[in-house]
Order: sequence, then structure tokens, then C-alpha cells
Amino acid sequence: MNIDKKFAAIAAACSMAFATCAVAQAPAPAAAPPAWKQGMSEDQAKSPLHPFAPHLTGRPAKELPLDKLKVPAGFKVEVWADGVPEARSMALGDKGTVFVSNRNLSNVYAIVDKGASREVKTILKGMKAPNGVAFDKGTLYVAERHRITRYDGIEDKLDNPGEGKVVIDNLDPTNQPGHFWKFLAVGPDGKLYFNIGSPQNITMPTYNEAAIMRVDPKTGDLENFAQGVRNTVGIAFHPVTKAVWFTDHGRDWLGHDMPSDELNVATRKGEHFGFPYCHQGDFLDPVYGKNRSCSEFKPPVLKLGAHIAPLGLRFYTGSMFPASYKNTMLIAQHGSWNRDPKQGYNVVHVSVDAKGVAKSEPFLDGFLENDKGDPPMWGRPVDVLQLKDGSVLVSDDFNGIIYRVSYAKK
Amino acid sequence: MTGSLTRSTRAAVAAKAAAAALCLVLGAGHASAADPEPAKSQACTACHGPGGRSSDPGVPSLAGQPKQFIETQLVMFREGNRKNAAMSPFAAGLTNAELRELAGYFSAQSPAPPGRTVTAEVVATAKRLTELNNCTSCHGPALLGQQHIPRLAGQQAEYLRVQLRGFKASTRFDMDGQMTSAAQALTAGDIDLLADYLASLGGP
Repeated sequence: MNIDKKFAAIAAACSMAFATCAVAQAPAPAAAPPAWKQGMSEDQAKSPLHPFAPHLTGRPAKELPLDKLKVPAGFKVEVWADGVPEARSMALGDKGTVFVSNRNLSNVYAIVDKGASREVKTILKGMKAPNGVAFDKGTLYVAERHRITRYDGIEDKLDNPGEGKVVIDNLDPTNQPGHFWKFLAVGPDGKLYFNIGSPQNITMPTYNEAAIMRVDPKTGDLENFAQGVRNTVGIAFHPVTKAVWFTDHGRDWLGHDMPSDELNVATRKGEHFGFPYCHQGDFLDPVYGKNRSCSEFKPPVLKLGAHIAPLGLRFYTGSMFPASYKNTMLIAQHGSWNRDPKQGYNVVHVSVDAKGVAKSEPFLDGFLENDKGDPPMWGRPVDVLQLKDGSVLVSDDFNGIIYRVSYAKK
Repeated sequence: MTGSLTRSTRAAVAAKAAAAALCLVLGAGHASAADPEPAKSQACTACHGPGGRSSDPGVPSLAGQPKQFIETQLVMFREGNRKNAAMSPFAAGLTNAELRELAGYFSAQSPAPPGRTVTAEVVATAKRLTELNNCTSCHGPALLGQQHIPRLAGQQAEYLRVQLRGFKASTRFDMDGQMTSAAQALTAGDIDLLADYLASLGGP
């Protein structure tokens, strides 16, 4: 009897007569696999593939092969700030402060531009996976794994931000490993949009998991906005149509080339994007896809690549870059671990034509050194943020560095 | 005040350089030129042994551990995520630069030969446990560690036992939950076997 069947039998017995089951000593179960190994097939059990962890102290920019970075003709890339350990998501304050989050570490940083240099302040400490940061009308919102808090008037009190006010709590009742970190974005409706990821690689989510949620910070009212989203770590609103665009990470352990990670668009509340039944819009899951059809779900606008890990997604609205960039997307791709050879570790420029056909081209490349290496890269892009002058910042959590990409007409 | 501090710092640097030169001449130093022994390492070696080669069963060896692993653990002690009566106060005062320097130094030291031998029967059973419980898929086929994942080969047995018991009880800090999850299936007997077996493993 295999272990799954044994569990199913025990579970069935429990549901029928839990009192008996509680007394009976079931044999000790085998270890539940780590969240990232869940869903492996038996012949993958010895796979050497594994996720990569960041250098939690950060690494000084002078120790890195920055000359390997490539941007399109006319663009320039430089280090904007280093010493920002595990720099993850970014948000821009009205007065120019750049707020930067952590996932494994527990800080939120504020970076103040002093012209020739940048001052990095640690403004919040001791938070639980505070991956989501968003700024709106003077307020910094921070999404930890279990709650969202607000810091009003933050730019006037960076040295003493005080206690945050809770917008919503109890978002993580199980406190398990899995996709517990949250991306946070403020919508044109003033509501806060964030993900609650799939608790495992591939399991049946509950109603409020594998979803994009939104909460009204004025009332605390929580809604389920989109379902079937395994884990998005990048949400942005189209500057003109206001549609909700987001990246989504496909499941692991279905091979080096399947399924593709996704770029999606939601045009109304209540759409379902397929997880765990259908991946990449046209590929039924071998377990959960039985008796389902991909036509039940909204397909992605673009397949970005298998395991490429698209994270931060932003629309470009500035005037520094060429006109062809206006209202198009920049997407940071953290890079694959669950495939061989590796791919991603870059920022891509994605534009969508009048017929809705999307195309992707390289924007910032050069972090991937050896696609067979372990690790294969020396840096990992996480998020993209447009500054007031129209230049764009890119965060790198592997090194704790923020790069700036600018354009000068030749 | 500043002037005298600078002078005394210079004197200390000069003394250290002279000591380092002497070590090189005598062939007694293990540190490579790339990773000179940091001043704060003396606080480490007092417990972890010379060059981070521990002879105390309860104190882990640092020699030959991956640099990123040492950095990560020191950060976690400093941030208060991982707690230990000896380590927490020490790590609390370290800057990122000091911490990187210490990690670079100890990762460059060659580990001591394993301090324990076990029977062929223990080897056979424990080796199978490391495969069944996915130890080798992260810690590597020879359990030498990689990146942020520690070397287990030749580690002190009592230290390994305490960590594994802590993971099983969900009381040991765990950055991503993987070890807590992996330790759930281990019995007390498995933990003893694994600790003795891992402590007996050699490697480069």
C-alpha cells in the first residue's frame, strides 16, 4: 500500500469515526516533504535541483562582476544602492523615499537619495516576512505573512515611524512553510491587492488560498478578487484601462520545460486562472486536471517560460525612456531552480499590441553566468520601480543591491 | 582622543601583521592570504576550537562550513531568530562586514578528521536514513553542504543530536521550515544513529 493510499484510508476512517481513530495508534507517518519538494514523482526523488537562498548580509557591489550586466542600446545600468540586505519589493514615497522590503529577513528599509549617494535606514524591524510594501497618499502599507499594517505620514518620521495600525490580521492561520509571503499593491480603487499563495507546490487550495485578495483600508472589508492563482509576486494596474495585470508561478516537478510561468490580466472580480487544474492555459494537471477542461479557466496573456519565476511587474509611464516603452511592462524574473539548464535571472520588457498579442524582449541581462552552475547566477532581480525622473530601479535580493537603469538619447 | 585611538589601532594592526608573518614563517598558520584571521575570531575559537575545529561534542565545528551558511546563521543569531545563550550576545554586536569576514575565514579552514568511528551496521542503516529522509538532496551526496546549507560530515555528534531533536520538536529556528518538516519522521533512535554516522564521515 503506498503512503498516499494509507493516509487516505486513515483520513477516511477518521472522518467516519474520529473518536476511535484518536485512541488508535496509527503507525508513524513518513516525513511530509518540504513544501518545495511536494509533488515530486518517485523517479525525481534523487533530483539535485533545489531553491537558492540569498546572501543575508548582502554583498558589496565592488565584489560583483557588474561589467557583465547588459541593457539595450542607449540605456545605462549602475549601482544605485548597496548594503540593503535581501532587497525585495520596492515602493516610492511622494517625497522620493524608496521603501524596500525583506522576505527571509525581518526589516523594512527606507532609502533617501542624497544626490551623490544614498542613505539606507532600517525603519521597521522584527517583522514576519514583510515582503509587501506599497505607498499611497502619504501612507506606507506593509504586508507581513499574517497581516497588513499602515504607517501614516511615514516620510516625515523615518527615524521614528512608531507602531503601525492594523488594516487586516489573521491572513496566515496555519503558519506553515509554503508560499506565505505577500506582494502588495494599491489599486486605482484605493484598495490593497495582495496574494495568498498556494500552501504547497501542488495541492487543493482552500477558497482563500491560491488567490488574489483585496481589502479596503478604510473599512477592512476583505474580498476574494481572483482564484486559481498559484502564487503571484507581482501585481500592477494598467495606466489607461486600469485592468489588473499579474505574474504567476507555475507548479514544479513536471519537467524542465513544463509548465510555463504566466503573465495574466484580470478585468473583473471573480475570474479563475486555472490552478491547480490547468496550467499555462492549455495543460491539464496530471492529478487535479482529471475530468476538467482548460476552457473553464482564463488563459494567460503570455507564457513567460518554465520555472523562470516572474516577480515584480510594473508599467512604464515615464518620459525618459523611448516612446515605445510608454504603458508597457517591465517584469523582473528571479530565475529558475526547478529545471536544467537554468533560465531567467533578468528583467524583460513586455508590450501588448492592439490585437492583444504580447511580446517579450530582454531589458536587463547578465546575472546568469553558467546555466549548468550551482548556483548559476551572481544576482537575482526581484522588483522594478520607476522613479520620478523616469529612470527605473531594479532590486536584487541575492546581493542586497539596487540598480538604476536610465536612458540617454544619443 | 581620536588621534590616540588611531595610533593604538595602528599598533594593533602592526602587531597582528608581525604575528601573521611569524605564523607564515613557522608554517603554523592555516589561514590563506585571502582570508586572514579576523580579530574577532578569537571569541569564536575559544569555544569552536582552533581554526573552528571543535573538540567539544556539544559545540559545532565551523571549519570547512560553506561561507554562506555561517553568514546566514550569524545573521539569524543577531536578529534573534535563532537563540543560544553563548551565540546570541556575541552575534548581537557584529556588523555585516565583520560577519562576512568571520564566515570567509572559517569556511577556508580545513576540517579536522572525523572524531568518531561507527560499526558497518550503523553505516548501512544510517546511510539509508539519509537517503530516505532527503538529507542528501540538500546537504549534497557526500553531506558536505553547499551555499546556505551546512556541512554535516564530521560535525560533532551531540550538537547534531540536539539540533535534530529541536527540529523534530519544532523548537529549533528554521528559516524555511524544511528541516522541521524533514525531522518529523525521525525516531529518537534514528536521530542517534544519524548523529553518530554523520560525525564519523570524513571529506575534503
